[in-house]
Amino acid sequence: MQHMTVGNAGTADADILRIANLTKTYGRFSALKSVSLSVRRGSIHGLLGENGAGKSTLVGMISGQRQPTSGTITLNGIEVQGHDVKEMEKAGVFLVTQEPMIIDHMSVAENLLLGIWPRKGWLIDWKRLRRDAARMLQDTDIDPGQRAGTLDAVARRKLNILRAMFSGGRVVILDEPTASLDVEARQQLFAFMRRLKAEGVTFIFISHYNDEILEICDAVSVLRDGELAGGSDDVGEMTSDMLSELVLGRGLSLFQRQRRTFGADEAAIVVEGVRARNVAVDAFRIHPGEIVGFAGLPGAGAKEFARCLFGLVHAKDGTMRLEPNSPAVKLPGHPFEAYRRGIAFLSDDRRKDGLVGHLSIGANMSLSSLPALSRRGFVDVEAEREIISRYFAGMGVKAPNPEVAIDTLSGGNQQKVCLGRVLATEPKLLILDEPTRGIDVGVKQDVHRIIDELSGQGVAVIVVTTDSDEMIRLVDRVCVFSAGSIVGELTGEAISKDRLRQISG
Amino acid sequence: MSNVSIKAEAAPRPRSGTSNRAIVGWVLHNVVWIWLAILVVFFGLFNSFFFTVFNFQNIMVQATVLGMLATAVALPLLVAEIDLSIPANLGFSSAVGALAVTDYGAPWWLGALFGIAVATAIGFFNGLCITRLRMVSLIQTLSMMIILQGALLALTQGKTITSLPEGYTWIGQATIDGWPIMPLVFVVALIFMAVLLRRTVLGRSIYAVGGNAAAANSAGIRVDRTKIVAFTIAGFLAGIGGFLLASWQMAITSNQGSSFLLYAIAAPIIGGVSVFGGRGNVVGVFGGVMLLTVIQVGLAIIAVPSFYVGMIGGVMIFIAVAIDAIRVRYFQ
Ligand SMILES: Nc1ncnc2c1ncn2[C@@H]1O[C@H](COP(=O)(O)OP(=O)(O)OP(=O)(O)O)[C@@H](O)[C@H]1O
Ligand SMILES: [Mg+2]
Repeated sequence: MQHMTVGNAGTADADILRIANLTKTYGRFSALKSVSLSVRRGSIHGLLGENGAGKSTLVGMISGQRQPTSGTITLNGIEVQGHDVKEMEKAGVFLVTQEPMIIDHMSVAENLLLGIWPRKGWLIDWKRLRRDAARMLQDTDIDPGQRAGTLDAVARRKLNILRAMFSGGRVVILDEPTASLDVEARQQLFAFMRRLKAEGVTFIFISHYNDEILEICDAVSVLRDGELAGGSDDVGEMTSDMLSELVLGRGLSLFQRQRRTFGADEAAIVVEGVRARNVAVDAFRIHPGEIVGFAGLPGAGAKEFARCLFGLVHAKDGTMRLEPNSPAVKLPGHPFEAYRRGIAFLSDDRRKDGLVGHLSIGANMSLSSLPALSRRGFVDVEAEREIISRYFAGMGVKAPNPEVAIDTLSGGNQQKVCLGRVLATEPKLLILDEPTRGIDVGVKQDVHRIIDELSGQGVAVIVVTTDSDEMIRLVDRVCVFSAGSIVGELTGEAISKDRLRQISG
Repeated sequence: MSNVSIKAEAAPRPRSGTSNRAIVGWVLHNVVWIWLAILVVFFGLFNSFFFTVFNFQNIMVQATVLGMLATAVALPLLVAEIDLSIPANLGFSSAVGALAVTDYGAPWWLGALFGIAVATAIGFFNGLCITRLRMVSLIQTLSMMIILQGALLALTQGKTITSLPEGYTWIGQATIDGWPIMPLVFVVALIFMAVLLRRTVLGRSIYAVGGNAAAANSAGIRVDRTKIVAFTIAGFLAGIGGFLLASWQMAITSNQGSSFLLYAIAAPIIGGVSVFGGRGNVVGVFGGVMLLTVIQVGLAIIAVPSFYVGMIGGVMIFIAVAIDAIRVRYFQ
């Protein structure tokens, strides 16, 4: 510690934050190995790296959520050692965690000002709290009095971001804030960041999207396997390919699907007359082997319709026909029923309804396949082990073994496990809501290849995504949602960045 | 190209060795068993009678009823609910079964089965209230507890039911070579639960529902059904416990079972079953039951004046729970 006197006043002024030899170990595993870097005052500093590279671990330590095993963190020339979140927030460091941190039964307003409630002496100043919250929410359509538990994934994300943005903090850390944000919200966020930056606020910005790093960041650091793989003080001299190569340690070959077209007379899954809250879809068809993308603004019905098909959202009306000559039946009333018919669904909010945190990777992966893996109620342990090891390896989950609790995985690796869980059911209709949310560029291509392969085996795939790049590379056809209905379709060349941007922003 | 500025001299902080950590981890994981061993030695040193075979048999018999109750209580806890009515259910259902025998002339086995069926039905009803009517389990089962305690009092008119036929009391009294057979039922129940939780779809569903009900639901698990089944099996185990207690004591008092309430809830929690659901196993429940039984029996044997028994027992439980809390924090 005695070595950490600030030697050079000049650099100390330019750098608001310095990290020296920071190391974090979990048992025998090193998540971060002696990482040193510094962040210039008033800059936006990008942080990139594969899933499990140690990004969340690093910012977790900067923000006081986790304590380093060794190494030092210096803020404004003062070493901050053993500070917890509360103390770091007092020092002006705010973190927006990768997973939404929302207290479901509290109102939106309370969540927005969580822990920084305005006070009147000993009491909370409710009037000001409501006024502040309303001001923070003026650019959104979120109601401050609403119970936070009723919000969708995008809105939950926004709450945490807004809390940090309005906190008055001097260092704001955003851990994958744009994952699952729509284009408009993304641009809003960037505009906001630029505004605060002009006021001297410093940002650390984590993302798996190279184009975002190039657009918004001044400097960038790349982590690989817990070590600093490289970076640049001037993002202007970087390209997307260079970033990918730094992240992966090798070149990246982008996946591009051979688009397929299907005739109207071909056998198809037919869905008709669906009515539910915020959903009014008269007819929807998808062919075995087809990949259909759902696009639209949040609340336009894409996500809700997807959930109806799976029985997670109750549909008042609606029928589906999975096989050409079978009779039309009602939409599934419960996910159990959906899985039995061969319909699988991946949620866009893994923390909320995607995974069971303290169970092992394996237990999570086999969870949806248990009926198929059992005889008279008893789980066939051999068959289960086989499925687990197949998808554990197939999805490239980074963990010592499948017995590890899923809680200890990085966000992207948790997503891979969730994806493995739904794929393991071998569905006929696969519904994926933001399938590559939080997954790094390299694995994203693998996931796209897997989805492409599945469609080759005759699986019909619905992809709900706000990632226009993913949409363009992966789908055969796009259904455009507005006010709960499908209002248009894009095929072939029409599926382009510009068109998608028009639709969703 | 690089913004990396490395301060070479920053010395790594000393770190406790990994092996050290592993030992502490092992101790904390097995704290119930270690605490149990310490207490056994402690009581034995005070009074060597504690080490006799007879006393061991006594402990096993004492542990049986508490064990049935603790196993029952563990199930709703695992699905992130709670059932406070289980000990009252034990008392009420056994009285119903016994009355069928003594007052209505049913054969003893029919009475026993009837009592167990009533207990199971009560468990099922609790499950229905909590899932279909969305009642809060803490309050719903609390009121059920009061109802059942009152019903037992009404049923017995405050009197103790004795005059139980020999067949009915057989299992509580029978011995083989001097070894009581009643604990076998507890062993069977433990094995049944272990297989259920580890090997069946239901068991997996129970852990998933308790861990994250929303995720379990969207993974295709019927959450309500799983909870109802958990409450029903809990009722069933309570019913068996009721029969055993009556058979062993050869009597049913007008507040049969009520004294077990706190111990029945403490035992699984001491054994590592989380009150937040989804965590815990049968071995832990067994450990918790043995620990509490040894404390009770031990305090009686070393002749602690009865005024102090409750307090000292409470302190010992407190220590077990405190160590468990340390364990949870340590592994965070
Ligand atoms: N509590 C823990 N116990 C054990 N290992 C952990 C724990 N927390 C994190 N890890 C491990 O540390 C490594 C780094 O995780 P981290 O969350 O920092 O990755 P990340 O770069 O944020 O990845 P992602 O892009 O997927 O979010 C991972 O391999 C993870 O499994
Ligand atoms: Mg992360």
